[in-house]
Amino acid sequence: MLKISNLQKTYSSGVHALKGISLEIPPGMFGLLGPNGAGKTTLMKILATLLEPDSGAAEMNGIDLIDAKAETRKILGYLPQDFGLYPTLTAFQMLDYFAKLKGVTNKKERHSLVDALLEKVNLSAERNRRLGGFSGGMRQRVGIAQALIGNPDLLIVDEPTAGLDPEERARLHNLLAESAGENTVVLLSTHIVSDVSNLCDRFAVIRRGEIVAATSTGAALKQLDGHVWEATVPREHVAHLEEVGKVISKQMAGGNTRVRILSENGKPAAAFAPVPATLEDFYFTVVNQT
Amino acid sequence: MRRFSAIAYNEVLLNSKRVAPYVVAALCAGNAVLWWGWGPASGRGLAVNSDLFIYGVLPPYSFLFLPLYTSLMMADPPIRDLREGITPLIFSKPITRAEYLLGKFSGNFFVLTCCQSMFVVTLFILQWVPKHGVTVLARTQFLAYPKHFLVMVAISHMFLAAIYFTVGTLTRNAKIVYGLGIGFYPLYIGYQVILLKRLPWRLKLALDPLVMNRGGVDSGEAFGPNAIRRHVPELLNQLVVVYDTDLIVNRVVMILLTAICLTILYRFFSTTERAGKLEKLTVIRLSTAAEGVYYPDPPALVLDESEKRDDKTSRTPVALPEVSSTNEGIRATLNKLIAAIGVEFRLLRAERSLVVVAPLSIFLCLLEVAFYPIHEDVSLSAAYASNTATSLLIFLIGMAVFYTGEAMHRDREVRIEPFLWTTPVSNSVLILSKFLSTLLLLFALIASVGVAAVAIQVIRAHTPVDPAAYLKIYGLILFPGAFILTAISVMGNVVLRSKYVFYVVSIGIASGLFYLYTSGHNHWLYNPVLYRLWSYADLASNMKAIVLYRLGWLAIAGVCLMLAHLFFERRSRRKLNLPLPFALG
Repeated sequence: MLKISNLQKTYSSGVHALKGISLEIPPGMFGLLGPNGAGKTTLMKILATLLEPDSGAAEMNGIDLIDAKAETRKILGYLPQDFGLYPTLTAFQMLDYFAKLKGVTNKKERHSLVDALLEKVNLSAERNRRLGGFSGGMRQRVGIAQALIGNPDLLIVDEPTAGLDPEERARLHNLLAESAGENTVVLLSTHIVSDVSNLCDRFAVIRRGEIVAATSTGAALKQLDGHVWEATVPREHVAHLEEVGKVISKQMAGGNTRVRILSENGKPAAAFAPVPATLEDFYFTVVNQT
Repeated sequence: MRRFSAIAYNEVLLNSKRVAPYVVAALCAGNAVLWWGWGPASGRGLAVNSDLFIYGVLPPYSFLFLPLYTSLMMADPPIRDLREGITPLIFSKPITRAEYLLGKFSGNFFVLTCCQSMFVVTLFILQWVPKHGVTVLARTQFLAYPKHFLVMVAISHMFLAAIYFTVGTLTRNAKIVYGLGIGFYPLYIGYQVILLKRLPWRLKLALDPLVMNRGGVDSGEAFGPNAIRRHVPELLNQLVVVYDTDLIVNRVVMILLTAICLTILYRFFSTTERAGKLEKLTVIRLSTAAEGVYYPDPPALVLDESEKRDDKTSRTPVALPEVSSTNEGIRATLNKLIAAIGVEFRLLRAERSLVVVAPLSIFLCLLEVAFYPIHEDVSLSAAYASNTATSLLIFLIGMAVFYTGEAMHRDREVRIEPFLWTTPVSNSVLILSKFLSTLLLLFALIASVGVAAVAIQVIRAHTPVDPAAYLKIYGLILFPGAFILTAISVMGNVVLRSKYVFYVVSIGIASGLFYLYTSGHNHWLYNPVLYRLWSYADLASNMKAIVLYRLGWLAIAGVCLMLAHLFFERRSRRKLNLPLPFALG
C-alpha cells in the first residue's frame, strides 16, 4: 500500500504545484488523471525521489519515500514523461547497464533478464542496434523495460502514451497490465482518459494541485448512471442547452451538433435520450466543476 | 526582405538572452585593456590612439582568440532549431531556404561583430584614461576605430563565420565546428609557413584571410617592437594608414569566398531527417495492436504474413526470470562503479571532438622533439620527457575542463538523468564514474604521448632510452596533474551547475594564474600542475619536496571530490549529502 499524506510543493517561481495531496493506493494499477499543469508530474517526481516536497509524507511498505531515498530507489521503477537514452549505446548495452546499476551482479542472470525484457517489449531483433536510431515508440518500450528491472514494488509511469500512435499505445497498455504484479503498485499518470479506463480499477483526478476525486472506475460510472443524456440538435440551440444542464461534450454531426449533457433533474429536453455514462463524462464533470 | 529581417532580428533577440555573447564581449574588452596598458606600445612612446597603433593591433587581436569565439557563436544556429523541433514550424510558413539561412547567418554575425567590436569600443574609451607609460595623442580619434575594425577584423571573421556556419549546418554537429575553431590555429600557422611563405608578396597579401602579413610588407614591419625601436615614435604617431590595392583585393576575395561558402550551404541545406536516423521498420510492423486484450477498439490494420507471424510469437506474455540483486556493501558499490566507468568511458570515446583534439594535442606535444634539435641536459630521455610533459600540461588543462564538463552534464543533456537518479546507486558512484572515466582518458593521452616520444627518440637514434626518466616525469608531474585538474573540474561543475559557466571561470582563472606565473609570482600552493616549478635535475635531487607538493595537492583534490559529493544536486537525504568517504558503500 502506498500512502501519501498532505504533500505540498511550491516552486521558487511561486507556482503552488501541490496543495496538500493525500491518497491511499492499494497494489494494482492506479490512474492519476488530470489536465496539463495539474501537478501530476510534480507528484510523480516527488515519489520517484527526484524532487523534495515542502511538507507531507509518502510511505510504502514501511519505507519513507521522502527521507529514505536510497531505500526507496531499491523498490522503484520509474518511467518519466520526458527522457532520452545514450544514442551511441545499443538496446542490450543500455538495459545491461541499468541491470548492473540495480544490483543484478550475476552476469548469466543479468543477460537472461535483459534478453527476456527485450523479448517482452518486442525489441529482441533490435538488441544490437544503437538507440540513436530508435523511433519514439521503441524508445518508450526501452524506457518501460528499464523500469521493470528488479521487479519493482512501486512502478511509476508518467504520461507513457503521450505522443504515441494508437498501436504503440495499445502495446504499452498491454505491457503495463502484464507488469502489475500482485504486490506491485503501478501508478499511471496521464491526461488521456482511455488509458485509465483500459488499465486501472482505481484512479484519482488531480486539478490545480488538489485531488478532486479518488474512486474506482465502477463507482465513478455508477455515480453518473442515469444522469447523462445525449441528443443531436441544431447548432443554434446549443447555447440554450447550457441553461438546462452541464454540457459535457459537443461534436459536429452532419451539420448539427451532438451534445452530451449531465442533468440530475431528469430529461433536459424532448430530443434527449439517456446514454450509459463513460469515464470521460466523469472526468470532464469533475475537472470542469467550479 | 521582411521575412529575412524577421529571422535575423529573432537571432539577435535569442542571443541577447544567452550568456555566451556577453562573455565574449567582456573577453574582447579585457583584451583591449591588456593591449592598451601592457601591449607593445606601452612605455615606448607610441600613442595608443594613433592610426598606426589601431591599425596594427587589430590583426593579432583578430588571430589570438577570435577564431574560437567565432566558432562558438556561429556553430549551431540552425542546429538549435532542429534540436528544439522549431524548423518544421518555421518552414510551414512562406519562408525560402535563402531567407532562412541568410537571416540566421546575418543575425548571428551581427551579434558576433558587436561582441568583437567591444575591443575597439574599449580602446576608444581608454583614450581618456591616463596611465603611466601609456602615450595618448591630444587629438581624439573617432572614425579610425570603426573603419579599421570593419576592414581588418569584421571582413576576416565574416569568412570564418561563413565556414563555421556552413560546416555546423551541414553536419548538424556543433562539436565539429568547435574542433575546427581549435584546429584553426595549427592550420593557419601551417598555411602561413608551408604555403604563403613561398609565394610572391602580392599573392601572400591577397591570400591571407587575417591580413597578418601586412605589417612586414608595406612598411618594412611598420608595427611591432622592432619597428617602434627603429623609428621615432613621434613620427609613427603622425602616420595615417591608407588602404592600398592589395588590401582591397584581399578584402574583396574574402567577401567573395564568404558568398561562395554560403552558396554551397544553400545548395546542400535540407531540413529533412537524416537517412541514418530514419526508422527502417514501419510502425505497423512493430505493432501488435490486434493482440490488445485491454484495448477496446483495435484499429483495423491489414498485416502481411511476416507481421502475423510476429503477432503469434508475441501473443504469449513473456515472464521475466527471477534474479538476485545486491545493493548493499562496498562490493556492490564497486561493481556498480566499474559498470558506470565502462559506460562513461565508452561515451567519452564517442565524443566527436576527440577525433580532432587527441591527435592534434599529441602532434603539437611531439612537434619540438620530432623536428628540432634536442638539448641534452641530464639525459636525452629526460629532455624528451621534460619537453613533451611541458607541452602536454596545457592540453591536459583544456581537456580536463572540457571533457569533465561533458561527462558531468551529459546525463542532463540527453535527458537520461531521471533513469539514473532513480536507480539504487549512490551519488559517489555517479560522481566517481565521471571523474575516473575522464581521468582514464587523460591517462590514455599521456601514455600515447609517452609512447610516441619514445618511438621518436628511437627513430632519431637518440638512444639509449631511459624509461625511468619518463616514469619519473610523467608519474610525478603529469599523472598527478591530471588527477588534480579533473577533481577540481568535477567540483566546479557540481557547484556552478553549468558547464559553460565553468568553462568561462576556468579560462579566467587559468589566464590569471598563468599571468602570475609568467610575471614571477609562482608557488606550488597556487600552481597545481607545477608549471615552471620543476626541472629533471630537481626531480633527481629534490624528489622528496616535489612528492610532498604533489601529495599536498592530491589531498586538495580529494577535498574537491568530497565537496562535489556534498553539493551534488541529487539528494540521498533531505538536507546535504554525506561527504564522500562516509557515503561509499
